[in-house]
Amino acid sequence: MSLELFLSQVVPVRTKLFRFAYRLLGDEEDAKDITQDALMKVWAMQGKMMELQNLEAWCMRITRNLALDKIKSRKYRIADTLDKASELPALHQRNPHAATERNEVMNKVHAAINALPEKYRNIMQLRDMDGLSYQEIAEALDIDVNEVKVNLHRARKSVREKLQNQQVYGL
Amino acid sequence: MPERVYGKNYKINRYMDYKAISALLEKYWEGETSLAEEAELKAFFSGTHADLPEELQEAAPLFQYFGEETQFPAEPEWDMSFLQETPPQQAPARVVRMHPFRNWMKYAAVVLMLAGIGYAFRQHHETKLIAARQEAEDRKAYMEAKKALAMLSRNFNKGTDKMQQLSYFNTAVEKLQGSN
Repeated sequence: MSLELFLSQVVPVRTKLFRFAYRLLGDEEDAKDITQDALMKVWAMQGKMMELQNLEAWCMRITRNLALDKIKSRKYRIADTLDKASELPALHQRNPHAATERNEVMNKVHAAINALPEKYRNIMQLRDMDGLSYQEIAEALDIDVNEVKVNLHRARKSVREKLQNQQVYGL
Repeated sequence: MPERVYGKNYKINRYMDYKAISALLEKYWEGETSLAEEAELKAFFSGTHADLPEELQEAAPLFQYFGEETQFPAEPEWDMSFLQETPPQQAPARVVRMHPFRNWMKYAAVVLMLAGIGYAFRQHHETKLIAARQEAEDRKAYMEAKKALAMLSRNFNKGTDKMQQLSYFNTAVEKLQGSN
């Protein structure tokens, strides 16, 4: 039963967990290690799996806690790693000029989001990129639903202002 | 967002679309959109649109960014061998060990309450004893007074007898003197 549950509900969210860890750590190898550890931890706590209503949020919370431990243990400088990850891989398009222009715009958006305080950035990424509900985000980050809503509003407002100031407009 | 079929009123329809999307976008900035509405915005901005109003142009790069998959590294190979190695088992029920003095305030409250009840009982008992002692003393004093009065009365009566005899003697003396 547990194996079935694990394969049907935990394995499909591996990618999401990996991306979440990558966003928190900014390093591919560390994100992979943390996600692997999170999967093993979830499996080790399979007795609890049956009791939970939202397995995905629980898995994300475990991933988050492990990533935060990693940050603390290594005195991670998240800013450094984010700088490293701030350049997006180039997009391949037929028109090189259009591709360059698009890359520039995407990099500006990327920079605007990465410049947000961590709690705003995490919430915005979980909502706008991963499509999590307010409740799921609250459970993943271990915060109140109202806090999620307030911080999401502030995050979007801040990104909007940054993009307006830089005059980043549609492609 | 479902593909729209445009007819003769293409421009009007497009204007209506933009108006609806603008309203949705305002809700998005305010943080009040549902997941379905956000999906609608993403779908809208994933396509190309002519004559996009400025408020929609400003949001386009953000929504296009959300749709980009290239911002993440390729998913690595996962080692799932732990699924075979760890035999599936139920986690044992968590036993929460409580320190005996963890709830010291409860114990303190019970002790205080017992001490209060004990004190009140003792006070009550002492009051009763004092009252009984007082009553006994009063009774004793009454008996003593009664005894003293009885003795006084008895002695008084003795004196009366003697006076009676003396009176007889006097009468006899007067009679004798009178006869002489």
